[in-house]
Amino acid sequence: MVNAVDGVSFDIDRGEIVGIVGESGSGKTMTALSLLRLIPEPGRITNGRILYGDKDIAQMTDEEIREFRGNEIAMIFQDPMTSLNPVLKVGFQIEEAMAAHQRFTRQQAKERVVPLVSRVRIPAAKDRVRDFPHQFSGGMRQRAMIAMGVSNEPSLLIADEPTTALDVTVQASIIELIRDLSREMRASVILITHNMALIASLCQRVIVMYAGRIVEEGPTRAIFKNPQHPYTWSLLRSIPRMDERSHDKLISIRGLPPDLGQLPPGCKFHPRCRFRIDRCLTEEPPLAEVDPGQLARCWVLMKNIKDPESIAQK
Amino acid sequence: MAQPAPLAPEVELAYEMPEQVTLLSDAWRRIRRNRLALVGLVIVTVLFIVALISIVWTPYPTWLQAVGPTYEPPSLKHLLGLDQAGRDIFSRIMGGALITIEVGVGSAIIVSLIGIPLGLMAGFYRGAVDTVISFFINIWYGIPDLLVALILVFVLSDALHLIPRGVVVIIIAFSLTRWMDVARLVRGQALSLREREFVEAARMSGARDFSLLLRHIFPNALGPIIVQSTFAIPAAVLFEAFLSFLGLGLPSPTPSWGAMAADGYHGMDFAPHIVLAPTIALSLTLMAFNWVGDGLRDAFDPRMRR
Repeated sequence: MVNAVDGVSFDIDRGEIVGIVGESGSGKTMTALSLLRLIPEPGRITNGRILYGDKDIAQMTDEEIREFRGNEIAMIFQDPMTSLNPVLKVGFQIEEAMAAHQRFTRQQAKERVVPLVSRVRIPAAKDRVRDFPHQFSGGMRQRAMIAMGVSNEPSLLIADEPTTALDVTVQASIIELIRDLSREMRASVILITHNMALIASLCQRVIVMYAGRIVEEGPTRAIFKNPQHPYTWSLLRSIPRMDERSHDKLISIRGLPPDLGQLPPGCKFHPRCRFRIDRCLTEEPPLAEVDPGQLARCWVLMKNIKDPESIAQK
Repeated sequence: MAQPAPLAPEVELAYEMPEQVTLLSDAWRRIRRNRLALVGLVIVTVLFIVALISIVWTPYPTWLQAVGPTYEPPSLKHLLGLDQAGRDIFSRIMGGALITIEVGVGSAIIVSLIGIPLGLMAGFYRGAVDTVISFFINIWYGIPDLLVALILVFVLSDALHLIPRGVVVIIIAFSLTRWMDVARLVRGQALSLREREFVEAARMSGARDFSLLLRHIFPNALGPIIVQSTFAIPAAVLFEAFLSFLGLGLPSPTPSWGAMAADGYHGMDFAPHIVLAPTIALSLTLMAFNWVGDGLRDAFDPRMRR
């Protein structure tokens, strides 16, 4: 058995925007999918609780969870090109998303489509709802997906790399849209990405995942300013930044993410860590508070290292 | 310094929306370029018109014997001559067109009604449902269909008298022995479509299984389904003709082309027109439906686009 996600625990407040970052295969998408109980076969939730208010999603019946999906928790996908049904008109698909739940009658759903489409800033909404997805650009399709996502006014929106398939100028407007909608509807957002810039511009809190675990968690500001886990630190130092003095060189994280079937003993990051100590090889550190509100899973912590730059450059 | 002209919102943009392209209009555009399919379409259309006319009018009643001398060769009065009972063959060909269409279209509809739901369920639910349905599909493929159909017609109509000999019992016999093609095709389509992201996206927004199948999987499989159903028409037509030729299909004096060919069989050496007329009509019909089917397949298959 492989634990793709192990011991991940976090809370999200109403209206909060939380980012989950990590490499491919670090378990961020699986974490999000388990919130909707949509883990692809043969995966399953073996243990744990997912509390939404005081309801445990992990214990719901199939009909309860179906009513939950899209109604209380909605999801926005990475690739808007393939996430819309090619043979149905965009407006109809948005209407269908509402018709799947009891919140609106068919008539109300029909009437809500055009306002929704203009709310996600698609121009000429009235005409565009009669178009098919192939007549939409990538950015517009993602907007249509967002319109579908928010159509039932969910209180949690999961955005799984919502901008990865879009070009940079469109990315910015999509991010702005998600932020504004979250504010207007007091909806929480979980943003899954490997793009640090996205996190910085949108999220109040960050969760950094590695090998199916949370390795660091805290307010965005603190994480960006004082990352305590070597993985977070290296990740941030691996991207060029405009707002800092130029360093000699960017830092790369050597090696590959571990095979989840054969995780190393001790700290799961130690084979790739430049700051490891003997203890890291045998004992896995707990997720402990390092600063108020900031947690890290590390024995060493970056604040205890003098001149990490020179060590990392070696 | 030149000031940039302010945008005037009241000015209508001189922009025409490109014409909406739907699955069907796109297919129609491509089928028009396929000459053989077009010929087939013309023949099929003529067949339909003739069949419709035959309901209200034929030169002579199709059952009326001795309208002239038996075995009379084609003449201006009797365009295709008379058969061994002195019936007007042209009238009977017209009547046969109606039978042909009833059997062909009826069978295609029933076969689709059986095959589509079974295929959708097998492909969508997979697991035990798929195992059971696929098991029956494979078993059915192994059974010689004509033999089963012969027995079915015999048992239903002659032994138990449940359904009178006629178009209905032929459609039932055909559908019960040939539903697998559509079922298997739809199963394959459903298997691949269920993994597509828009299906996943719909599931994530809380869509019920029924709406996933009806709104997302079925419409996306419509092209291949139409093609497969079209090919069921000539198969059913041939099936009916064959059964009637053997004397197990439609009873006399129903103007079935197969039965007409059987009637003329004995006089083939001195009155070949009795056999030729129904066989040519049958061949043209079969070819036409197959050409249309081929044309549709090319038109709906994106990999064949030129």
